[in-house]
Amino acid sequence: MWLGLAIAALALPATVGVDVLGWAAKASVWLELPKAVGPASKGYAFLPGWVSLGLTFLAVLALVAIGARVMGFRMGRFLAGFTVIFWTSFGCWLVGHYAYIAQTPDKRQAMGIGWSLGLTGEAGFIVALLAGLAIGNLAPKFASWLKEASRPEWFIKTGIVILGASLGVKAIAASGLVSAIMFRGFAAIVEAYLIYWALVYFISRRFFGFSREWAAPLASGISICGVSAAIATGAAIRARPVVPIMVSSLVVIFSVVELLLLPFAAQAFLSHEPMVAAAWMGLAVKTDGAAVASGAVTDALVRAAAGARGVAWQPGWMLMTTTTVKVFIDVFIGIWAFILALIWVYAIDKKPGERVRATEIWERFPKFVIGYFLLFVGVLACGLAWPGTREGLVAATGTADVFRGIFFVMTFFAIGLASNFRRLWAEGIGRLAMVYVVSLFGFIIWIGLAISWLFFHGVRPPLVQ
Amino acid sequence: MAESGRREEIHPVERVGKEMAAMPQEPLLPVEKKLIGWSLMLGVVLLGILIWVSLKFFPA
Repeated sequence: MWLGLAIAALALPATVGVDVLGWAAKASVWLELPKAVGPASKGYAFLPGWVSLGLTFLAVLALVAIGARVMGFRMGRFLAGFTVIFWTSFGCWLVGHYAYIAQTPDKRQAMGIGWSLGLTGEAGFIVALLAGLAIGNLAPKFASWLKEASRPEWFIKTGIVILGASLGVKAIAASGLVSAIMFRGFAAIVEAYLIYWALVYFISRRFFGFSREWAAPLASGISICGVSAAIATGAAIRARPVVPIMVSSLVVIFSVVELLLLPFAAQAFLSHEPMVAAAWMGLAVKTDGAAVASGAVTDALVRAAAGARGVAWQPGWMLMTTTTVKVFIDVFIGIWAFILALIWVYAIDKKPGERVRATEIWERFPKFVIGYFLLFVGVLACGLAWPGTREGLVAATGTADVFRGIFFVMTFFAIGLASNFRRLWAEGIGRLAMVYVVSLFGFIIWIGLAISWLFFHGVRPPLVQ
Repeated sequence: MAESGRREEIHPVERVGKEMAAMPQEPLLPVEKKLIGWSLMLGVVLLGILIWVSLKFFPA
């Protein structure tokens, strides 16, 4: 949370003309490499791209180093690993911005090219994921060396906090739509929790013969939010550490499979229902990183498909919807873990005198959510109270968004690094994987799609003016 | 953040096969059946209510 807030705090003074971070390196769609990177703000246009990029690296390195120090990481290994992760991820980000990959059909002529894949610059996310997967599976020793710095959950939560500011700016212009997205996201999550968890728990207990200790973290991991939910549930029911760890391994691997498949399915079948596609990513793809990453790719792919039909939706609204759904999921993890702790303590593992403290909800509450809402409400309130600041807020959040993109692309790379598919063949994991496959592809994806459809069909992002 | 940073640590676990084989057979307790039943029932009832509230008070 603090890292995202720090970046936003440095970027927001640009609202009143104090552009502290305007030199940050922004990637653009390119045909000639020197034009691929430049400063985010026009006020720093005099800086060469490589200087801007070097400054950006040093600034991000300094910020994450402080965080790493506070969290007690091994600093030497972290700094060396992070340097590799940053430059590899940014390289992938630039490859994704290559005109023949990224340029949308409406701008091909202006760029002098006859064809392109039209994936937008977000194709860099997929490139980073593939690069991470290649290293994670073909060079596992090198991936292991990078492990100290490879922190996908940290990266994505930083990105999500920064995204709160962008959401606030969008909300100023369309507060009705944002409140609808917020409520419908909340409603979709309530539904998903109640239906998913109960079904997965029942199937794993009744048909696969799992004990309660395995079935509860498995149900949370598959149905709710992957790693965090499996660990929180494991702690709530006092499961041994091996249980949530095994479930988490599966969650991470299957998240990557979903990340590679679902956004393209959304583009093929839901390009007329962009918010349904976005909410579906939030409900179906597990782990914060993979879900928000899927939202980012879906945003790009669905807008590209709409662009081919002559419809130009504003970027970011689908990503915002996926993020909103995911943030509500995270909020509920603590509450659900508390409910399960109550049931286990007072009904299943009943021991005289044992009690559950209400503060456990707070202990399990994901704190980055506070940063996300703080920035969202702060920026929205500022824009509504002082309309004259709106233009400045757009510029300021645009600069912060450059860092959000960097943290996102590092998340994709780190997710790939952590996904060693050989784990699927590890001794004994087949039975767990079978429940996962049956539940995920048997009903979670489809119930998620149905719930997304019920709450988000007919909702469209605003058009580009 | 410190907590979430550590949460993502995932280590390969060996001998999961033995863990699986040693898993005790546990019949569904009445309280588990209630948890599953109430959860699904609440989900279905709330579905109607939440859709109505969405359309009525939060039109897109």
